[in-house]
Parts: sequence; structure tokens; C-alpha cells
Amino acid sequence: MNSTTATRPNGLALFILPSALLFALFFFLPIGLMAVMSVLTGNPVVMPKVAFTTKHYVRMIGDPFYLEVIWTTIRIGLVTTLVALAIGYPLAHWMARIKSRTGHALLLIAVLAPMLTGIVVRTFAWMTLLSDKGVVNETLMSLGFISQPLKLMYTETGIVVGLVHIYVPFMVLTLTGVIGRIDERLEQAAENLGASPLRAFLEVTLPLSVPGILAGSLLVFALAISAYVTPILLGGFQIMTLPILIYQQISANFNVGFAAALGIVLLVISLLLVVAYNRALGLVSGQRELQ
Amino acid sequence: MQTTASPSLPATRQTASVRAPGPARPYGRYLYLAINIAILVFLLAPIAIVVVFALNPTPFIQFPPVGVSLRWFEKFFASRDFMHALGFSLEVAVLTTLSATALGASAALALARGNLPGARLIVATMLSPLMLPAILTGLALFQTYVLLDVGRPTWGLVAGHTLVTLPYVVRTTLAVLHNFDLRLEEAAQNLGASPVRTFFEVTLPLIKPGVLAGAIFAFIVSFDQFPVSLFLVSPGNETLPVTLFNYLKFDLDGTIGAASVVSIVLAFVVVIGLDRTVGLRSYVKL
Amino acid sequence: MMKALGPLSRRRFLTASASLGIGTIAAPYVARADDPTLRITGWGGKWGDIMKAEIGPAFESEFKCKLQTDSAFPYLPKLQASSRSAPIYDVLHTNSNEQWAAAEMGLVEPKIDPKLVPNLADVYPYAISDKIVGVSIFTSAIGLGMRTDKGYSGVTSWKDLWDPKYNGVRGGYVIPVNSLGQAFLMMCGTLFGKGQTDLDAAYAALEKLKPIKIVDFTGAMEKMLLSGEVGMCVIHDSGIYRYDGQNQPTDFVSPSEGVLSLEQVLTITPGSKMKELANAYVNYMLRPEVQKRLAETVWYSPANKKVKLDAKYDAKLLTTPEKVSKLIQVDWKWYNERKDEIDQRVNRIFRA
Repeated sequence: MNSTTATRPNGLALFILPSALLFALFFFLPIGLMAVMSVLTGNPVVMPKVAFTTKHYVRMIGDPFYLEVIWTTIRIGLVTTLVALAIGYPLAHWMARIKSRTGHALLLIAVLAPMLTGIVVRTFAWMTLLSDKGVVNETLMSLGFISQPLKLMYTETGIVVGLVHIYVPFMVLTLTGVIGRIDERLEQAAENLGASPLRAFLEVTLPLSVPGILAGSLLVFALAISAYVTPILLGGFQIMTLPILIYQQISANFNVGFAAALGIVLLVISLLLVVAYNRALGLVSGQRELQ
Repeated sequence: MQTTASPSLPATRQTASVRAPGPARPYGRYLYLAINIAILVFLLAPIAIVVVFALNPTPFIQFPPVGVSLRWFEKFFASRDFMHALGFSLEVAVLTTLSATALGASAALALARGNLPGARLIVATMLSPLMLPAILTGLALFQTYVLLDVGRPTWGLVAGHTLVTLPYVVRTTLAVLHNFDLRLEEAAQNLGASPVRTFFEVTLPLIKPGVLAGAIFAFIVSFDQFPVSLFLVSPGNETLPVTLFNYLKFDLDGTIGAASVVSIVLAFVVVIGLDRTVGLRSYVKL
Repeated sequence: MMKALGPLSRRRFLTASASLGIGTIAAPYVARADDPTLRITGWGGKWGDIMKAEIGPAFESEFKCKLQTDSAFPYLPKLQASSRSAPIYDVLHTNSNEQWAAAEMGLVEPKIDPKLVPNLADVYPYAISDKIVGVSIFTSAIGLGMRTDKGYSGVTSWKDLWDPKYNGVRGGYVIPVNSLGQAFLMMCGTLFGKGQTDLDAAYAALEKLKPIKIVDFTGAMEKMLLSGEVGMCVIHDSGIYRYDGQNQPTDFVSPSEGVLSLEQVLTITPGSKMKELANAYVNYMLRPEVQKRLAETVWYSPANKKVKLDAKYDAKLLTTPEKVSKLIQVDWKWYNERKDEIDQRVNRIFRA
């Protein structure tokens, strides 16, 4: 990997052009438009007179409600990421190390299945499980463990459960690649030198999988803070996250400028994270980042 | 013998190991398996619920189920809206997969080998559609299309989907390229192949599974994509998630379960088919 | 070596031909070039089913046109984003609150011309009152819905909803996005304060309404009531009666303080190029036979005085001038002016 790195772009660099064109037309242009709308009083396309204004951003900062919403969004994102990591890592490890091809295929199917179900139905399935008349409550009540249904939905916990379920596959698939590339003989060497399997894991495998952990966590966090369908259905409309607020502003308040401002805030948060992630990765290892 | 600093061997072959995965001592091993089984149950339970619900004849959430009935499947297949949406979703997903794979793989090549200045920044930018709430991306695209007076055409929807699936293709392809043993290319060139020939006969075939894995993600994500589609579909041309979501507003019955079961089966056919033919094992990773 | 072309180039070729294919698929929404197309909005569910099966095709064949219905709610943001001279809808069908907001933004014409829509002469006064923009083609009564198998008795007033015995099974709406919720908020002002505009009384009353399960659409409320997740809720009569014949343990209560009006309203966009067809559509939807068919399918109360419904519908729906005069119409113009601050407050109240 450390062959002499040429410093001038070569012919292959041209291959970036189609994607660059796509991004320019379908990403930067619309997002730029959004950013512009967030500082205008109206939509210049349809309104004759618009002026520059910072009122949308001022409104956000002025009212603690919006800061709370931002914090709720981030909090749910963090918890989801941590839980997804805790759940995803053992599964990824198993998947990376399993020898039988059938076994791997089965695990792959099991991991991909939640992704394949479709977000609307998946969330709906969780509603079926967690609502007051849902599977969990009905089962527990019929077994006599509880007399009143547990409030599993309509809480942040319910949202986290639903989000974790959706994003664990992403975490697993990111980690399994990295863990798979860690040479098992390193672990074996550690054990030959007297370390217990647990210690070998903690001191050899785990540190080597940190780039994967960071990559997976970043992906899951970014997806979790921009989730819409799951938080709204599992939170019973009583937990307000930034995407839900954005949607409400667009669909019920017709306040595109404010929605755009909120969206820009969400984008900035995410971009800061990418920067932090790159820094952390640079600190952690001399490896090139494995995006 | 290793010339690279990285402690891993080329990813083209898994190292054979004597022991089965997990710790050696029995209790540790059972715990490891138990944890993993529990996780699998967590992942699959809602799917099982969906199947149960698809077969339960009552038209709302109810547990325990009262029976087995295919009425929701009948309703799903008889519904012109759902069938059209299913077909349209497939069409959009295929088109998206093609364009995302082409654009993403070529971008990854350029980024890994093209010596582009600011490659890291470009990679971060290419991944940023994942960071922005898709609902805003959808609205922004809709607004732009209105501005350019193109209406809500199918290619506009495909473009939106390509945007949000491209990051996955870039990731998987980059991952494969990063672990690519350049010595294979060097060997080919030592044997007399030109750089172009090396590229087509050594590099491309070796990264193909990674690219295909990205294609699978693109397909799945596009098929399931909701927020972008919400603004970009036009009447008569709706994707399945949008139709399901609208249906949920008025009818909370097993039809969505049936739709879901059909989607899962369909997607499995695709994934298993590809696994058999190409052997995705090592490459379905992000 | 043909193999040298490799998968990437093959894919490029496929993409190129796919793009050509996309180009031919991509024609914007004109189905048949010869027939004019009228673009409207419409609900899904039972309304959508019957529109697609009967009413729509009948209109299409009588007026030699194509009806294109957008049922992907929300409609207004899309209309708002499209240009005024080329709106994406010709006729907007939605509830009163949104129609008022649309009128304020200049997206729809506030009044329908009775010369172009003759059936306007036959509607009840509420359908074209000053609380309405456009014309209301149907209405429903917003009241209380309840389970009949839980032993709830003596439910006669809106204030019964606050009874602590319904804690845990009380149902309401996400006020920022739902017009029943918004109308209900104004009702709270009347019930506990000086009137519809007494927001402070309304907020206080809503605080006391917790715990409550809230949803964004009446369809979800209907299902929660059917499954037992909710036992007492705010709902429109249509949401209960449409399950008639299925032996469901639910019933509708018209509270003594009066029922609120949930109108289905049609308006025409000023920039529409199909004004003649649009007016014809509005007129068509007000025809007695069309009104009767729709009313009896989804249990809406028809706005046309001349409609004669079958006995069982007639008994429960609002089909006489006296019944209709009891409908409470709220001031949407006033509400929409304050919507942002009301939403901000209400979001806080119902935070988990």
C-alpha cells in the first residue's frame, strides 16, 4: 500500500466526473437553494418580493424548545448508536469468523432481513409489538406478570428500540468487514503467549477494529438523527425530533424557510461529526481511513 | 515477508483457522452463542410478527391472532395501486442500482487511484447525502425541479434515489480497493501487460464483488426509500413505501403485512441468487 | 478480448440505454395526449376506492377527460412550491383549515362562481358561509367516539373526556397537523373559557387532558378505537359509522355543547388552465346522485339540500336544516394567523 504515491492526478481521476456532475446538479444545487431559502422571507420562485432575514435562525436560538428538540435528536442518536454497537459487534464478530458458507449465508439473510422489510412496515411491526394492545403487553398480561399494560411505545426507549432494529444491520455489515480483515493468527499468537481469549480479544481484536467501530458508529448516528418514520410512529407523536419538526413545518405550517433553517442545522451537526470522525481516525491508527 | 504496515493479509482469501469462532472455553463459547442468538431473535421477531399479521384475518392490530387467512395477500395482489407501486418501485430500484453502481464505482476508483487533491474531503462530501435528513433532500429536489420546470418525472426520482444510494456503493468499492494487493497488478505488469490491460483484466474482476455488494445495498435502499420519494412521486407513479404509508393513514390492516412479506421474498430471491452466482460472502460489507 | 470490457463497461452501456428508456418513461403526467387532464387531490381509503371505481370514471366519460388524483398527503407544500401560473393541481380537495391557509397564500380562489357552478344554489348555508373558502361538498360532525363494551355510561358532554377513568385509553390528535385537533382546541376555549378564541383556557384544558394518546390522522384513531388501544376519543361521526354492519363495539356521541364541523372543501387554483373542467367537476360533486353515493359509502353528510339518503343514513347524518344549523364552524382565518405560536405551545404541552 505504500508504493510511491504520485502527486499528480492521473487518468483515473476523470472517473469522478459523472458523480461530480450528479452531485452538482442534484445535491449542491438543491441544498444551496435550501440554504438560501433559510435566510429569505419567502420563496423567490413564487413570491414577488423577498428580503434577506435571519429570523429563522434567531427563532431557533431564542426559544429553548428548539434547543431541546435538537438535544433530543442528538441524544436519541447517541443512544441508538451505542446500543447498535453493543448489539452489532458480537454478531459481526460471529459473522466474520464463521467458517461454513451456509452459516454465513444464513446470518447474512438474518442481518439483511430487517433492511429488506421496508421502513414503514418494520416500524408498524414494532408498533404491533410494543403498543398497549400489542404482542408484548398482551403476552405479559395473559401470563399474569402485569395487570396494566407497560408503556413501551410513546417513549424515547421505544424509538431507540425501533431505530436500533433498523440500523444494527448497517453496523454489523460495517464491522464484519473490518473484523474479517483482522488476521486471526494475531489472536492466536496472543493466546499462545498466555493471554485468555477475553484478553486476546480486548487487547488485540478490539483495538484493531476501532476504525470499523468509528465508521459504523458514524453511519448509524447520521442515519438515526435524520430518521423520520420510526420516531414519529413509535414516539406516538409525543417525542419531537428535528426531522419530525422539519416535516411538520413543511406539511402543516407551510414554513419552508424555517424548515430549511432547521435542516441546515441538522446538516451542520452531521458535518461536524464527519470532521470529528476523521480526526479521531487519524489519531487512532496510521491506517488509511476505511470509509 | 509482509511488505505492508497493515497487519492483514490480502482480502482475497480468508485465512484457514483451526478453531471455530469464539472463545475456546465452553462457558465462554456458550455465552457468545447465546448472546448472538438473542440478537438474532431481536432482529427477526418483528419480521415474524409481520408474517403473522399478514395471515391474521382481523383488520387491525390484534394479538393473539385469530386465524390464518390469505385475504390480505388477495387484497394486495388484487389492488391495482399496490401492484403498480410494486412494479414501479422495482423499476426505479433497478435504474437506481445501475446508475449508482456505475457512478459510485467509478468515483471510488478515481478516489483510490486517481491521486485527486483533497480526496478525503471529496469522500466526505460523497457520503454527505446520508447525513442530511432525506425529507429535506426530497423537498429541495422538488423545489429545484419546479424551478427548472421539469415537473416530477421518473428520471427525477431515479436521480434522487441515486444520490442517496451512491454513498453505499462508494463505501463498499473503496473498502475493496483499500485492501487490494497492488502486488497483483505489479505482477501483471512485470509479465508485460499494459496499464490499461492490467486494469481491465486484473483490477476490475477483483473489485467486482465489492461493487456488486454496493449494488445490492443500492437496490435495497432504493426499494425501501421513503422521504425522498414522498415529494418526487407523481400521481399514478408512486413507489411502494409511499403507497404503503398513505394506505396506513386510512387502513391499518394486514395488507401492509402482505406487502411486506412479498417484498422480503422478492429481495431474498435477488440476494440469494447473487450470492450463489457471484459469491458475495466476503464483500457484503460496508 | 471481449472479456476485457469488464463489468464496469457493460454497466455503463446498460446505464446509457437505461437513460434512453427513462427518457421515454419520463413524460410528465399527461396520460393520453388527446384527452384533457384535470388534476385533483383526494383521500385514500374508502373515499379513494369509490372515486376510482365509480365516480371518477363516470366523470371522465361524461366530460371526455382524464382525472388525475394525487392522494399522497400533504398537498399544500407541493402546491406551494409549484409556480402560480402552472400549479400542480387544478382542484384542491382538503379540509377547511388548509383551504384557508391556501387562500391566504393566494394558492386557491376564495370564492366559487355560482354562475359556473349552478348546484351551489342548492347547498345548505354552512357550505358557503363566511367561514368557508371555496365550497364544502360534505361535512362530518366532530364529537366523541367510544367503546360500547367497557361499561362507559352517561357520556353526554365534551367534558366527559376529561374524566380520570379514561386515563390510559383517551385519544386525541396532533394538533399542529390535524384539523380535528385544531377545532377541538378552539372548542376547549368555549367549554372552559370565554369562547373559541380564549387560548389560555384552551391550553389549560389541554394540560389537564393528559395522559392521552395522540395520532395525526383519523384513520389511525379509528383503528386504535377498534383494537381497544383507545376507549374514548375525539372523532368524526364518519369514522365510527363507516364500520356499520361489522358489529363493532363502538359508537358516536354528539355532545350536548354541540358538534364541530369537519368540512370536505373544494377550491380551484387561480393559475389552472382547466377552469371550465374544474368548475364542471365541482358542480358534478354537488349533484344529488353523486352526493348520495359518496355519502352512503363513507358516511359523510351531503351539502346539497336536495339529497335523499336511505333511511339508516338519514337517521344518523346531518340531513335537515335544523340538524345542520347546530354545526359549529370555527374561525380558521383567526386560527391560521396564530398557528405558529399555538403549535409551539401545544408541542410543549404534549411532550412526553
